[in-house]
Amino acid sequence: MASVLQTCLLLGVFVPLASFAFLALAGTKLGGSRRQPPSEPDPGHEHDHPTGPARGEPAAGYVATAAIAFSLVMALICLVIWLKHPESHDAFTQAARDAAVVWTVIGNVAIQFGVKLDALTVIMFLMVSLCATCIHVFSIGYMKGDPRFARFFTYMSLFCFSMLGLVISSNLVFLFIFWELVGVCSYFLIGFWFEKKSASDAAIKAFVVNRVGDFGFMIGLALCFIYLGDMSLDGAAAIFEAAAHAAGKAHGPLSAAAAAVAPESVSRASALFTTTLWGVPVATWLGICLFCGAIGKSAQFPLHVWLPDAMEGPTPVSALIHAATMVAAGVYLVGRVFLLLTPGAQFFIAVIGCITLTMAALIAIVQLDIKRVLAYSTLSQLGYMIFAMGIGAWIAALFHLLIHAFFKALLFLGSGQVIIGCHHEQDMRRMGGLWSKMPNTAFTFLIAVLAISGAGIPWTKLGLGGFYSKDEILAVAHYRHFGWEATPGDHEPHARTPAELSVVPVGFEPGVAQHGLAPGEQGHVAPAAAPAGSHEEAAHHEPAYAAAYPEVTRLPFILFLLPVLIAYVTPFYMGRCFVLTFLSPPRDRHVHEHAHESRIMYGPLLVLAAMTAVSGWMLFRGLVAEAVPQGGAPTLVPAIDGSTLHSAHHALPLWVGFSWMVGLLAAYLLYRNGFGVAERVRRLPALSAAYAVLWNKFYFDHVYDFLLVGGTKVVAVICRLFDNWIVDGMVNGSALATERISRFSGVVLDNMGVDGAVNLVGKTGWGLGGLLRSVHTGIVRNYILLAVIAISGLVIYILSAGNLIWTLIWVALAALALLVPRARLRGPQAYGR
Amino acid sequence: MFEIGLGHYLFVSALVFCTGIAVMATKRNAVGILIGAELVLNAANLNFVACGRYRVGGLDGQVAAAFVIVLAAAEAAIALAIFLNFYNALATIDVDRGDTLRG
Repeated sequence: MASVLQTCLLLGVFVPLASFAFLALAGTKLGGSRRQPPSEPDPGHEHDHPTGPARGEPAAGYVATAAIAFSLVMALICLVIWLKHPESHDAFTQAARDAAVVWTVIGNVAIQFGVKLDALTVIMFLMVSLCATCIHVFSIGYMKGDPRFARFFTYMSLFCFSMLGLVISSNLVFLFIFWELVGVCSYFLIGFWFEKKSASDAAIKAFVVNRVGDFGFMIGLALCFIYLGDMSLDGAAAIFEAAAHAAGKAHGPLSAAAAAVAPESVSRASALFTTTLWGVPVATWLGICLFCGAIGKSAQFPLHVWLPDAMEGPTPVSALIHAATMVAAGVYLVGRVFLLLTPGAQFFIAVIGCITLTMAALIAIVQLDIKRVLAYSTLSQLGYMIFAMGIGAWIAALFHLLIHAFFKALLFLGSGQVIIGCHHEQDMRRMGGLWSKMPNTAFTFLIAVLAISGAGIPWTKLGLGGFYSKDEILAVAHYRHFGWEATPGDHEPHARTPAELSVVPVGFEPGVAQHGLAPGEQGHVAPAAAPAGSHEEAAHHEPAYAAAYPEVTRLPFILFLLPVLIAYVTPFYMGRCFVLTFLSPPRDRHVHEHAHESRIMYGPLLVLAAMTAVSGWMLFRGLVAEAVPQGGAPTLVPAIDGSTLHSAHHALPLWVGFSWMVGLLAAYLLYRNGFGVAERVRRLPALSAAYAVLWNKFYFDHVYDFLLVGGTKVVAVICRLFDNWIVDGMVNGSALATERISRFSGVVLDNMGVDGAVNLVGKTGWGLGGLLRSVHTGIVRNYILLAVIAISGLVIYILSAGNLIWTLIWVALAALALLVPRARLRGPQAYGR
Repeated sequence: MFEIGLGHYLFVSALVFCTGIAVMATKRNAVGILIGAELVLNAANLNFVACGRYRVGGLDGQVAAAFVIVLAAAEAAIALAIFLNFYNALATIDVDRGDTLRG
């Protein structure tokens, strides 16, 4: 069975890859040109020019959709198998771990390719493939007539492959590879309409901003590689846990995996806790660096700036990025490396998440573009998830991620429906009154708005989506502030059983959805109106985390207060968006009259709406809770199961129980008649400054533009000066030196030395010639005399028995005698006349 | 009274030779120089004949002298041809004027 599970998952991952390869090679050659041209041209299509069906349309869309639908079927098979064998889950996990194959060996570290198989994988795989399938179907309608229809689905297939691969990766290296694939796909898709300058800029921005985060992630991977020496998720966690125990940072019994770690690995990894950088242990830096990747991908403060700009992509892409893939990857990563976090890193994560959720929600209030409202709401919800990870609400964070995926995909597809229906109008100032024109869209949109608002009836179990997950996050936050140290430790710190911390998985029977809501003995996700009598009992079961985790401190009140306040802001901005789009009187007659609903596109909406409605109380929470990375043995930080925190759940409704009503009602009252009231409110002196700050998104883009772009320009100027002066100076200097040397060599050595020698030879010859020239007087008598002198010299030489001196004397005298009267001899007389 | 021997011939020969040299060394007229040259050649002939008679024996000296005579005749012919050309070129046979190739 384990091998069937793995095969299904791998097939589910690689079929979209095959679809990508097929579409990349043959996508534009697929048929579909038999289709009749559109009867009425779409006047609003400014991106594409509907001059008949594009190549590959719609067959390419069918191929990609079939591929991802296949993945969905695989995911469903996996889910059924998983639920049918509740007793052998550990065996499945272990079998998948054993089946990993060594991909490569770097140094002493073997990089393994394998499937991380646990309940979270199964449910994430289902969520991703289900959302992606809906989005694919929707895209076939949305991208109708686009000239690059086939390419769009090529990218979508690659995107799905990347995300599904990321979900099943059991190794940080493969996680990183798929992580980067997701990044590059988002780059392709955000910049899909690259003819628009803003779209290509947004794509570049998304990619570059993600590089910043990934840089931190890579440092984190390097730290893992150096200190832990094991890149697999399980192995790294085990070594980390063992090292934490060895360093005295964690107490209690070791988990079996951690106990089996080799002593030398432990001693090497212990350096993580003993070495500090700027007063912070390297172990904390490790967690923070790994989290940096999530900051980029999940668009957390301060790298959130790319996400709103990513709205330039086609709306289905936004849905995919915001719901199932890109931003989910960051939260998923934090969930997977949760065991590598120290309390310090956790606190950092909580602070970042809290900043993000607050800031993004406030900005969302003033946005006018329907997609940008959704973008900031995504940011805010991601902030909640990251914040939940930071406070230890592991289950709640991933639970929220799953629920959020459905309602955010629903919101985005609904907005895509609205945008298409209004002929590519995204500005809410020109919408309004669309309820009557597109009732299905409006209804599904309303469900999603209620879900994100956390709508539900306090003290009961009836609610939608966020009602469960967000309340659980806040419950943990409440507990971490109010109950952390005050809780009396009835239990021994290490006597907790897994049943207390995690939840028994629920069956797959639809009728027992209540089990998912109330897993375990008496746990409630929703705040339960416990009878007074059972209150004591509930308190009795309150787990005493504080005693077991002395390093984890009480949460500051501000980190509890801000998420609670934003729980009021969230329904407000979502309600504002809904009211302005669907309820308030139409503001643009032209847009309103031409608005219509597309048929193929609301099928996925209905599916997603159904999933949104049921996801809160179906099996999602149970499966997530089953995968909680704790296993009974305490690690450095606790993964707190919010459903066991009864006192928090009792107190919480007083804080946020009615927030969704307050927020939605305020939005309705304020925007019921359009922008009129809001305009007047905005003009209030006290609020205009705040409005300016929000409208400019807290000036992040300005600051980044000034600091980073401007800074880059300053660096560029410095580099240019360096280039001009130093580099060019070196080049010019060497040229100058060469010129001088060559001048020296040419003038001094060559001209004076070599040429001098040559000339000296010439001049010597010249001089000798000149000397001998005088002999050639042209006068025959002189020649005869010379001959006589020479012969007489020879005779004297012979006669004097070789006495050279006499000979020379004679020759010299004779030559003198000859040369002295030479001038006279050359006189002009002409004897021969 | 005294017998004429080789020494006398040689003396006369030397005298003629020196005369020829002197003529060549002093004359400007090309024909004069040619005459000097003939004197020098004949001095040599005298030596050949005399030495052939007194020392070597046989006809070797006379044969050599005959060669020289032939040679002198040829030389004279060539020389006179040169002089004619010389005159054509310079309108004179003063060899001092023929210093066009002077160094």
